[in-house]
Amino acid sequence: MLEIIATSQFWVDVLKIIMIDLLLSGDNAVVIALACRNLPPDQRRKGIFFGVGGAIGLRVILTFFAVSLLSLPYLKLVGALLLLWIGIKLILPEKEHSADNIRADSRLLGAVKTIIIADFVMSLDNVLGVAAAAKGNVWLLVFGLLVSIPLIAWSSQLVLKLIDRFPFIIYAGGALLGYVAGEMLIGEALLESLVEVHHYLHWLIPVCCATLVLAVGRWLAMRRIVEPEVIDLVDVTVISSLPDQLHSSQNKSQGES
Amino acid sequence: MKILIPVDGSASAQRAVEYVIKYIPSLKDAPQLLLLNVQWNVAKGNVKLFIKHETINEYYREQGNAALRSACEALDAAGLTYQYHISVGMPADAIAQYASEQGADQIVMGRQGQGGVKSLLLGSVVKKVLQLAECPVLLVK
Repeated sequence: MLEIIATSQFWVDVLKIIMIDLLLSGDNAVVIALACRNLPPDQRRKGIFFGVGGAIGLRVILTFFAVSLLSLPYLKLVGALLLLWIGIKLILPEKEHSADNIRADSRLLGAVKTIIIADFVMSLDNVLGVAAAAKGNVWLLVFGLLVSIPLIAWSSQLVLKLIDRFPFIIYAGGALLGYVAGEMLIGEALLESLVEVHHYLHWLIPVCCATLVLAVGRWLAMRRIVEPEVIDLVDVTVISSLPDQLHSSQNKSQGES
Repeated sequence: MKILIPVDGSASAQRAVEYVIKYIPSLKDAPQLLLLNVQWNVAKGNVKLFIKHETINEYYREQGNAALRSACEALDAAGLTYQYHISVGMPADAIAQYASEQGADQIVMGRQGQGGVKSLLLGSVVKKVLQLAECPVLLVK
C-alpha cells in the first residue's frame, strides 16, 4: 500500500479521478432537493436522507458492477467508445430537454423513487469514467467513490461557478476523458499483441483520443448556437410607500417562460 | 435615469443598495430603480427529465425572493419606487443582458458577492460584468 502511494503515477490517477468526479458529478444534489420540495416538511428530511443514502449505495454497486463488466473481452472497447462520447458531450453546450410526463409526487416513496431513478441515469457517466481512470486499482476506486459522495449530497453550484470562472476546465475535462478512454483501449485484449510490439502506442493512443475529443467537441460546439441563455422568471414593479406590496404582488409575477 | 442594482442577498450587495438610497437625494430627478437577482441555472439537461418545470421555477422564485428580501425591505423603508426581477442563467451574462434590455444608465453593484470558495471565485461576476456591460458600472466597497 505504501509503495503505491509513493509513486507519482498514483497521484496523477488521484487527480484524474477528482477531476472526473467534479465534472461528471451529475445533478444529483439538485434532483434530491427538488424532488423533496413537494413533501410535507416532516417527511422532507427523511426524503433527503433516503435519497442521498440510496444514491450513494447505487453508485457503489454500479461502480463495482462496471469494473467487473470491464474485465470481459470487447467490453473495454465499448467502454472506451462510450467515454469518448461522454467527453465530447461534456464540451458541447447543452440542448434543452423537456419532459412533461412527470407526475408530481407528494409522497415520500414517490420522491425517493424519482431520486434513485435519476441517480441511476446520471451516475452512469461518472461511474464509467472513474472505473476507467482507476484501471482496476481498488484503492483508487474507493477513493473515487469517497470524493463523489459530498458532491452527491451538496450543491453542484460549485461546479457551475468553477466552469464560469475557468471555462477551460470543460476542455481539460474532455481531453482527460479522451485520454482515459485511450488508456482503456490499450487494455483491451484485442489490441494487446499490437501494443506489446509497438511500445509507443502506450502514449500515442491516449493522446490521439484526447485530441479527437477536443477536435470533435469543438467542431460540434461551433455548429451550435452558443448564446448564453437567460430566462426571465419574475418581473414585478413595487410602487413607493406601500410596504405590503412586496408580499401581495407576488402573484402578479409575469414573464415566466 | 435608470439604475440597475444586481443583488444576491450578500452584505456587499446590500451596501450597494444602501449607497444608492443615500445618493438619490443628490440627483435632480428621482431615478428608476431596477433590482435584479440571477439564479444559477442548476437544473440543466438531465434534471429536467425528472423534475417538473413548475417545481424548478418555484424553487428559483423562492431562492430569488429570499435573495431580494433585504434589498426590497431597505427600499420600502426609504419609500422608493422600484422594480424587481429574477432571471435564471449565468449571473454576469444575465446582468449585462437585462441592463441593455432595460436601457439602464448605470449598474451599481457590490464589489464581491457570495462565493463558496472565496479566494478562488472572488469577484468573478464583477469582472465579467465590467467586460460585458455597455453602461457605466459603479462598484461599492
